[in-house]
Amino acid sequence: MQKELLLDVKNLSTHFSTDGGIIKAVDNISFQIYRGETVGIVGESGSGKSVTSLSIMRLIAFPPGKIVSGELLYHNENGIVDLIKIPDSEMRRYRGNKISMIFQEPMTSLNPVFTCGNQVDEAIILHQKKTKKEAKQLTLELFKKVQLPNGERIYKAYPHELSGGQKQRVMIAMAMSCNPDILIADEPTTALDVTVQKTILELMADIKNKINSSIIFITHDLGVIAEIADRVLVMYKGKIVEQGTILEIFENPKHPYTRSLLACRPPLGKRLRKLPVTSDFMIEDADGNIIEKDVTINEIIHDVVVPASETEQRLTDLQKLEPILQIKNLKTYFPVRKSLFGKVTQYVKAVDDITLDVYPGETLGLVGESGCGKTTLGRTIIRLVEPTEGSISFMGKNILDLSVKEMKPVRKNMQIIFQDPYSSLNPRMTIGNALKEPMQVHNLYANDKERKEKVIDLLQKVNMKADFYNRYPHEFSGGQRQRICIARALALNPKFIICDESVSALDVSVQAQVLNLLIHLRKEFGFTYIFISHDLSVVKFMSDRMVVMNAGKIEEIGPADAVYNQPQKEYTRKLIDAIPSGELSDIKSRLSTA
Amino acid sequence: MLSYIIKKIIAGIFVLLGVVILVFLLFQLVRFNPAYASAGEQANEQTIQNISKELGLDKSMGMQLRIYLNNISPLSIYNTTDQASSFFLDDKKYNYKKIISFSDKAFVIKAPYLGRSFQTNRSVVNLMSERIPNTLVLACTAILFATVIGIILGVIASIKPNSLTDSICTAGSVLGISLPSFFAAIVLQLIFAYMLAAITGFNLTGDLIVADEYTGENYLSIKNLILPAIALGIRPIAVITQITRSSMLDILHADFVRTAYAKGLSQRIVLFKHALRNALIPVITSVTGWFASLLAGAFFIEVVFQYNGIGLETINAIKTKDIPVAMGAMLFTAGIFVVISVLTDILYSIADPRVKVKSN
Repeated sequence: MQKELLLDVKNLSTHFSTDGGIIKAVDNISFQIYRGETVGIVGESGSGKSVTSLSIMRLIAFPPGKIVSGELLYHNENGIVDLIKIPDSEMRRYRGNKISMIFQEPMTSLNPVFTCGNQVDEAIILHQKKTKKEAKQLTLELFKKVQLPNGERIYKAYPHELSGGQKQRVMIAMAMSCNPDILIADEPTTALDVTVQKTILELMADIKNKINSSIIFITHDLGVIAEIADRVLVMYKGKIVEQGTILEIFENPKHPYTRSLLACRPPLGKRLRKLPVTSDFMIEDADGNIIEKDVTINEIIHDVVVPASETEQRLTDLQKLEPILQIKNLKTYFPVRKSLFGKVTQYVKAVDDITLDVYPGETLGLVGESGCGKTTLGRTIIRLVEPTEGSISFMGKNILDLSVKEMKPVRKNMQIIFQDPYSSLNPRMTIGNALKEPMQVHNLYANDKERKEKVIDLLQKVNMKADFYNRYPHEFSGGQRQRICIARALALNPKFIICDESVSALDVSVQAQVLNLLIHLRKEFGFTYIFISHDLSVVKFMSDRMVVMNAGKIEEIGPADAVYNQPQKEYTRKLIDAIPSGELSDIKSRLSTA
Repeated sequence: MLSYIIKKIIAGIFVLLGVVILVFLLFQLVRFNPAYASAGEQANEQTIQNISKELGLDKSMGMQLRIYLNNISPLSIYNTTDQASSFFLDDKKYNYKKIISFSDKAFVIKAPYLGRSFQTNRSVVNLMSERIPNTLVLACTAILFATVIGIILGVIASIKPNSLTDSICTAGSVLGISLPSFFAAIVLQLIFAYMLAAITGFNLTGDLIVADEYTGENYLSIKNLILPAIALGIRPIAVITQITRSSMLDILHADFVRTAYAKGLSQRIVLFKHALRNALIPVITSVTGWFASLLAGAFFIEVVFQYNGIGLETINAIKTKDIPVAMGAMLFTAGIFVVISVLTDILYSIADPRVKVKSN
């Protein structure tokens, strides 16, 4: 079959000029997009994958960004146009019409003050020159195509009235509204639950086939790529380091970076002592040259597999001790509706009658979709949120009876690491002071000099340099910041740490490093963790026991491997099925059915 | 939505009640016997005592507060028979309508009674209602002018941050903020109503309603409004420009602005349709806040231009220790603030649909 070339990207370079010099965000890359195919672009944040897509749309903000060279040859019925050379007014005719885009954050990508219908209409009226009434008809049809129930309601709804998945469907409807040739999807499912992700991926593949367009799918997660792409580009530091068909990439990855990406995702089938990281496969010298190590994924994984007998032994040993934390019938309700006189008439039952024990040294995983109450449970345990009912006993003491003052020594032993390393560090505080502050609050150590020594010690424990002491958070990457947050939690020598989606905002490769660090620290200090995440594979890797939460209640609890291998509840099964596993067999069966 | 508005109004009524009591207590603190002011300097002891009695000054403070509150409240209970009672329903004082009568008491609805001016013996309510339209016209003109100019300048400055246009707008607004309004008023007066008077035809001072020198007929003099409105508007323009600019800069980085561009919309539509409406929310706070304070009396401006509004009236009342008028003006000011802030809340919920949800 003759493939129809749609977009020919030739030697594209996009640079950003900053105070620190020129950053080559996209560095001389070339690739082709053919009609009907889905091309995945994978890479970690900063690899240039988003800049590539924004360059194609000509949406790079100038200054500081600029497309410095290259050609973007778009083949359409009128011949070939170079998207870089045409004037902006002509580019606007393609944008949103022939080439459209879906963004990562459905929460913020729709304008909050206009109705969803209005926003989809706008593109139709603009490009197809329809009247308002015709546009509404088309929009409602589109809503049906993207499987939004009750289109009339969605049409009139404001974005904040919809769930994340529904918003992303509205975005897809908007991007599809003019039957584009090329649809660019920039991490369209990263902010969504796995179950929702699955439906969105299916929907995108389905619509692509119906209107015979192509998709450029950008993600940091090879598991997602395995579910949707025909061809894959792997980007690293602005360059394409490898490209090939999906089978070539998964069966026989050539570049060490591709191999590390494939390996660093927590595997579902086996239990590992630690996750493989990029440095297991390659190292970079001072000039940025990549030096490949001669290993395969299987060799590395083989060394770190934990035998099932060891896992069982550890579980029995853990449960011999008295629980460090006992939660009984815990309920946390939030008022949602009040009568005119302030009486609460309706609640959200975020945590609804939860009873569980956590044993010293154990890691208890808490998994569930967004809104299931896992974060509220974590916050209630350390009394950041006051429960409505129930009891929490920590190290033999009922902490709900304690006053704020009596709570202070207890807090020393319970710490929390939050999700977003970008907003959980005070930007105006040096790293040293941020780590020293909890020690000062709890009067640990004799003086500031000793505290400083301790902080430097902590920084080294989380693999950071001592001279980071006087730096500010903005100088660090997401992974480094999360390590600083971990160090801050360790500053008080706690016994018990809650990790609330602590790795969710990180790239898979960075996530592997942080998870390894947490495992290492558990071994060194004997911490007890409650590990909260929406990602079942991560929870399974981290935890001894796993709790599946749904609508404020415990759906299922048990040893992590048992819950995964023999799920007892339909809900758990649904969660597990939705995980993009990235297994070769799954890819092959998808390709054969297509 | 309705319950949201009702809630806001009820809260506003409580704030007003607090203000009424506070104003009463403040004037108790002044420790000045209004009887002297009312009777004049040559009054003898007997007159003073009589006037004190008439004004209720011989009563305890608690009793005085009760009388005062009863007089202000639109719904109140009065005595219909005992003329000596402080709660006697006096036809001369109150403009009322009876709702229910029982024995010697009556429950009435009435216009608030704020007493009479010591100077002119006119009812304070009447006096205020004469001045309010003048101030209202001045404040509305000034704020309208400031909002339109301020938002336009703010948007222009935000399109290309740190460019020359942006710098000019920013420098101009810094100048505007630092310029005291009375100074701006005097400068404007000097330039446009004195040096360029021949061209502009503006008067140095003057009221909105002027009596014709020959016929004695009153007529509306719009030109007397222009300079005071500009002088009054300069600082709000500066503030609104700054707020619009910074709010727009935030919004222009938002994801949905990128979505709008990705749709193929032109910059003009993205700026004025998608970005501006979102950016307006903090601007509304500022505009309504300024509007309230302008309404409450552009004291300096009204004095400089001898413009006969609430501000000028208040200053005169304070000068002559005309306590009922001063108290009335304060209450009016507070009332304006409360009404405007309730209106602001309602405006928010129109500009930003998310506000309604948060309030529930």
